Amino acid sequence: MSSLVATFAWLERLDWTTALRESPFGYPLIETSHVACIVVFAGLVIMMDLRLVGLAFTHAPLAQIQRRLFPWQMASFVPSTATGILLFCVDPLRYYRNVLFLAKLVFLALAGLNALAFHLKTYRRAEGWDDDLQVIATARLTGAASLLLWSLTIVSSRLIPNNWFK
Amino acid sequence: MLLPLFEWCDGLAMSQAYRDSTYLFPVTQALHLLAVTIFVGAIVIGDLRLLGWGPVGQSRASVARSAQRILLWAGLAVLLTGIPQFTTNALTYHRSWLFVLKMWILAAALLFTATVRQRVAVADEGHLSSWVPRVVGAVSLVLWMSVTISGRLITYYG
Repeated sequence: MSSLVATFAWLERLDWTTALRESPFGYPLIETSHVACIVVFAGLVIMMDLRLVGLAFTHAPLAQIQRRLFPWQMASFVPSTATGILLFCVDPLRYYRNVLFLAKLVFLALAGLNALAFHLKTYRRAEGWDDDLQVIATARLTGAASLLLWSLTIVSSRLIPNNWFK
Repeated sequence: MLLPLFEWCDGLAMSQAYRDSTYLFPVTQALHLLAVTIFVGAIVIGDLRLLGWGPVGQSRASVARSAQRILLWAGLAVLLTGIPQFTTNALTYHRSWLFVLKMWILAAALLFTATVRQRVAVADEGHLSSWVPRVVGAVSLVLWMSVTISGRLITYYG
């Protein structure tokens, strides 16, 4: 733990993290870019989840809508992650003990594992998805879990600045 | 000009309850962001389709119709979580140029979405030149992202 703290203290003292932290524009602009990318990324993930649970876009075949949205989800996920890592680097000691930040990371990891599990379980049979009752049942379950986990990720993220549960 | 309205909002019992509570305001902010995310997701999927990307296996009208229900529900949630944030800080927002800017862009985005974007999305695909839906998708995307971004910046520069 102490080596982790030492690493974070070192990170916090670097010239560029210090400059971003002290600049009136550095942190706000990175954070705003982070939010702008996240709403697009998570918004499109939620659209796919609503299709998976069968609540919206039901005219589109499951595999097709997933394939067509995936590049856009990735295009917004990459800058979301990059700006997120940058935000952490700017103020690591403020975040690493924040319970809501840690909760966010857990929800994020679970959401990622949920998506990965669905991908691995169904990918090889991508063509027959909409006729396969087992895939439809798995899709509903995955979609519901994803909706819950991304909602928790977003809500806990927005609550991080309050630093409750110290 | 609108100062009496802002003062009335500030004096509401709900605004006082929000100011007295540690949790009410942050939780409302968090739910607002969640509702905004769902709303923007439903906008972006429709805009991508208008631009000729995203779910092109479906007609523009089919994507728009499915997205519309989500837009209405998420929009309602955005409004319900936005109003108490506004009334609680009405007197601060009265002086915030970013808040005023956000409201103007929001009004433009709503008007554009309900009129031009809606018409183009459900129009017969053969009747429009291919550049029309593309321009409409691009304008919608810029407008709604501007609402989101200006909203976020209120926290810092409001």
